[in-house]
Amino acid sequence: MGATDNQGSFLNRISIRRNQVASMEGNHEQELEDLEHFQKHVADRFSDLLSPSEDFPSDPMLSIAWVRKLLDVFLCCEAEFKAVLLMGRDPSQISKPPLDRLVPEFLDRVVKALDICNAVSHGVDSVRHFQKLAEIAVSALEQRPIGDGQVRRAKKALSALVTGMAVEDKEGGGNKATERSWSFGRRSGVSAPNKDRAVGHFRALSWGMSKGWSAAKQIQAMSSNLVAPKGNEASGLAQPVYIMSTIMLFVMWMLVTAIPCQERTGLMTHFPVPRNLAWAQAMIGLQEKISEEWKKKEKKGSAGLLEEMQKMEKLGQSLIEFSDSFQFPAEAEKLEEVAAQVAELAETCRKMEEGLVPLQQQIRELFHRVVRSRTEVLDVLDQGGKASAPVM
Amino acid sequence: MEKNLPEKDDQPKHDAPSPDSSAAISNPNDDHKSTSAKPEDDHKSTGTKPDHDDPKSTAKPDHDDPKSTPKADHHNIDDHDHKSTAKPDDHNANVNPSETAVHLLTDGDDPDYEMKKHHDPNENEIKTENDGQSDPVVVKDPVPEPEPEEDPSLEKVSEDLDRCISSLSSEKNENDDGLSFPEELPKLVEKFMNLVEDEVIAKRDSGESKIKWCQVPEEDASFLEALDRIGRLSKYLSFLGLKFEESHGALINRLGSIQHRALLYLEEEFRMLLEESRHCTEPNTPSAGDKDHNSHGNKGGNNNKQQQDQEQDRCMLPDYSESRGGGDQLQADIFPGYAQEVVNNLNKIAKEMISGGYETECCEVYTISRRLAFDETLHKLGLEKHSLDDIQKMHWEALEREVVSWIKAFKECAAVYFSGERKLAEVVFADYPSISSSLFSNLTRGVIIRLLNFAEGIVISKRSAEKLFKTLDMYEALREVVPKMDNLFPVECVNELKAETTTVRSRLGEAVICIFCDLENSIKADTGRNPVPGGAVHPLTRYMMNYLRNTCEYKETLDLVFREHSKIERADSTSRPDHNYEAGEGMSSGNANEQSDHQSPFYLQLMRVMDLLDSNLEAKAKLYKDSALSSIFMMNNGRYILQKIKGSTEINSCMGDTWCRKRSSGLRQYHKNYQRETWSRLLQCLSHEGLIVHGKVPKPVLKERFKSFNALFDEIHKTQSTWVVSDEQLQSELRVSISAVVIPAYRSFLGRFSQVLDPGRQTEKYIKFQAEDIETYIDELFDGNPNSSIFKKKP
Repeated sequence: MGATDNQGSFLNRISIRRNQVASMEGNHEQELEDLEHFQKHVADRFSDLLSPSEDFPSDPMLSIAWVRKLLDVFLCCEAEFKAVLLMGRDPSQISKPPLDRLVPEFLDRVVKALDICNAVSHGVDSVRHFQKLAEIAVSALEQRPIGDGQVRRAKKALSALVTGMAVEDKEGGGNKATERSWSFGRRSGVSAPNKDRAVGHFRALSWGMSKGWSAAKQIQAMSSNLVAPKGNEASGLAQPVYIMSTIMLFVMWMLVTAIPCQERTGLMTHFPVPRNLAWAQAMIGLQEKISEEWKKKEKKGSAGLLEEMQKMEKLGQSLIEFSDSFQFPAEAEKLEEVAAQVAELAETCRKMEEGLVPLQQQIRELFHRVVRSRTEVLDVLDQGGKASAPVM
Repeated sequence: MEKNLPEKDDQPKHDAPSPDSSAAISNPNDDHKSTSAKPEDDHKSTGTKPDHDDPKSTAKPDHDDPKSTPKADHHNIDDHDHKSTAKPDDHNANVNPSETAVHLLTDGDDPDYEMKKHHDPNENEIKTENDGQSDPVVVKDPVPEPEPEEDPSLEKVSEDLDRCISSLSSEKNENDDGLSFPEELPKLVEKFMNLVEDEVIAKRDSGESKIKWCQVPEEDASFLEALDRIGRLSKYLSFLGLKFEESHGALINRLGSIQHRALLYLEEEFRMLLEESRHCTEPNTPSAGDKDHNSHGNKGGNNNKQQQDQEQDRCMLPDYSESRGGGDQLQADIFPGYAQEVVNNLNKIAKEMISGGYETECCEVYTISRRLAFDETLHKLGLEKHSLDDIQKMHWEALEREVVSWIKAFKECAAVYFSGERKLAEVVFADYPSISSSLFSNLTRGVIIRLLNFAEGIVISKRSAEKLFKTLDMYEALREVVPKMDNLFPVECVNELKAETTTVRSRLGEAVICIFCDLENSIKADTGRNPVPGGAVHPLTRYMMNYLRNTCEYKETLDLVFREHSKIERADSTSRPDHNYEAGEGMSSGNANEQSDHQSPFYLQLMRVMDLLDSNLEAKAKLYKDSALSSIFMMNNGRYILQKIKGSTEINSCMGDTWCRKRSSGLRQYHKNYQRETWSRLLQCLSHEGLIVHGKVPKPVLKERFKSFNALFDEIHKTQSTWVVSDEQLQSELRVSISAVVIPAYRSFLGRFSQVLDPGRQTEKYIKFQAEDIETYIDELFDGNPNSSIFKKKP
């Protein structure tokens, strides 16, 4: 929430500079320079994400820490974009064609991005639920001696975890899932075997979005009218609007692929970004890598590309196999193997414990920032377009 | 302990071998599996068999232990027969003999004992503990009384076990090697487990007649006691160290399984209680509940009065659901809708799950259930889920209804539901304040953010003047809630939630300011070139005055909004230059001295709007070619504005008396202008000047005067009766003032000059009006009638 304030000094600097420049009538040149800087920064930030410098041990792609870095990149780009678009600018400039069309289109994309933020935030809740289930398994399997009770407890949690992930994926964690598993949750009569109880445990907990809301559709809508500016427009303000739209689309798409989200079927895998744009190279590279993962995922049917979730799912399945073949007392060799997996699962839980709440807060921060910027852009747009449009 | 002795003495009497028991002895393992392993699916035969073989092999050298299992069954069956006379009903259900036996044992066995347990659950433990310390000799005795031959009951075994354990712990203190334990221990544990599994757990999680929680309160207590003992037992056993674990691993394993079964059952019951015993959301209790109720009702005959009272308090309270009238208020009163007894049970179960190490399960079940319940509550309050994108696309009429439900829901959440939810968490997790506050925080954070999200959607939707009032309503709702939040939410989340709420409140405030300031733009933009016919009140004036009058009802809120949120706008680097309220002061400088108490930003903004409206109206007045009509237009609009202001105390107090007086005098000026423009020409016709030349009245001149008077008056009448003065008072003021000028002048003119004309044809030709006619025609002015000429109208 404090993010808007943090940007204050930076933005003011640009504003002061812009005003000075404007008074010297060197406006266009300065603008080109600003735009060039902006593009360079975008390119640099995203290539850091794609191939981080060797010096530091980096977080694996699509891990929680990596996603948080991506969101940081988004916030930086967004602040700079706003500076380029608005600071010290005469409102009439952005109410002239083609911006009078491009900016409202951008603002419309922003609203869709806000919905995605909300949906993804619910998704993080689901991930937290999975984390809890994994923690149950960890605490059961860390006990010694491992007996039938511990194994059964772990298996129940892990089955809920694995099935839950599959359902999140299939149903997108939306209303359908809630309703469907709701009925599982009831003790269904006398003959209900204990297996069904385990299923009852994973009932989707997300508040979900409104019925029929689809993350995939929103992403598609965001990209449908996104066209790279050509000719003269490419050197004007149309360019930063296009760049920011692309970044926003990419980040939202990435969030939707990584985190369980309502209705992801048909999530587009092709990005409408021309390959010759320097600033977009790293983004295209990331997009291709993630698309690959997504294709694998679609075959496999896992819940989300988030690294920790993938790991959790893999370990969960392996530990379920262990529990299926478990006989007391367990062989020492087997126990060692399990202990290693449990330790890994515990480590994954720890990463989630550390990362998910900040991630959720960061998504919220992004939400607020984007709302705030939208209002500011809208104000300027209104100002530029005043007098021609009576309110009544 | 002594109290139970008579019962124990009774038991051997039933010890006659029955056909069943011999079979059981011959194959104790099979028999055991039929009762314990069957119900659980996961319980694979490959997995269980070795477990049950193990204890036999290790225990055999010490005692002929396997007997204990069949003995227990044997006892059950005897007891069953014994009871069957008292309860013939149960015989009918005797499809599965072993299960019925198990069922009946605790069903009717030792009701007295259960009661005692219920009243003083700790008695035994304390006693054994003391015994262990004061008289270790008794405890250490490796061969207790000839109990193995008797049929041990659960309470007896439990006692022995407690005694044995306490001896163990005292011994352990002496020998640090921690390896020695009473030889009887494994046997006792085995016995205990058999009994617990058969008598306590199996009836609850398997078979046709599963016992639900709080169906038989006193049994719940013994269930919890048994589970508690299992927990302590497994701690003690692990306390014994590796050697014990190696030699009696199967025992530990089985104990773990039983514990898991019991906790699994608790988890399920916890969920069921949370989800299915709420009155407000589930009017029909599930059929299983009814069945249970009946079976319990039958048994009630055996219980004393106190228990029946207890029964009435339990989960599906029939009285309670009848008493609810269905009104919102009542529903709010009983939120979250659990009877006290249910809450107590939830608390007991939560405590047991948490101390049994199943905290995460407990919290997840609680979280999910309460989220669903809260979701349902919001739905009942009329709150729909809308994506921000949808909100942008919705029509305002539809959205307006949503706003109304939102405000209601938000206020009720703050007034009732959040505190109800908090209380529930605090009672259910009474012993774990950090758990309860984190559960509550997580739940309410989700709800608050969902609620705020809708407000956010309104804020970012396209601004329009019509949205001002609902936006203000939302703003007020948030403003009321923020100060209460400190008491509603725990420390760990209150700051975040307050910040979220405050952010949205600021955005609503800024939206309000923008909408209000947009009035200026909409006035400026109203530059139609077509004057309103007849000089009537302009639609802009009507719209603005009605709008402002409504606005003034929010005067205090608006003042606050302007004070608090216009600063943010101004500090903002992209803020509009016209948001400078000090500048507004200059525009209404005429009032500055007298109305220093009115220097609120809202007042200044209001004055700006009024001034803009005035200048807009002046520009519109110039559209009329007839300057008299311009005056009428200004009078009409000015009068309308004044009437609106006087008609509402709020706006009247906003504008102040001075302003109104100034207004009125402005209007009088327009009146004068009008009179001058219209009637002075007519009065010139009636002037005596130039009519008397050398004491004589020249007839042609007089005739000309009459002619032009008639024509002019006709013309005025024709024109001005199409003009509109809808305010009756203004209309009559105008007519009166016209009459007062015209009629006396005409009357005196007639009186002085009418006889100059020849009576008859000439008089008829030139004197078209009597004074009374003039009055009549004046009264026809400003009616908005498209009148033709007076003369054509006349027959």
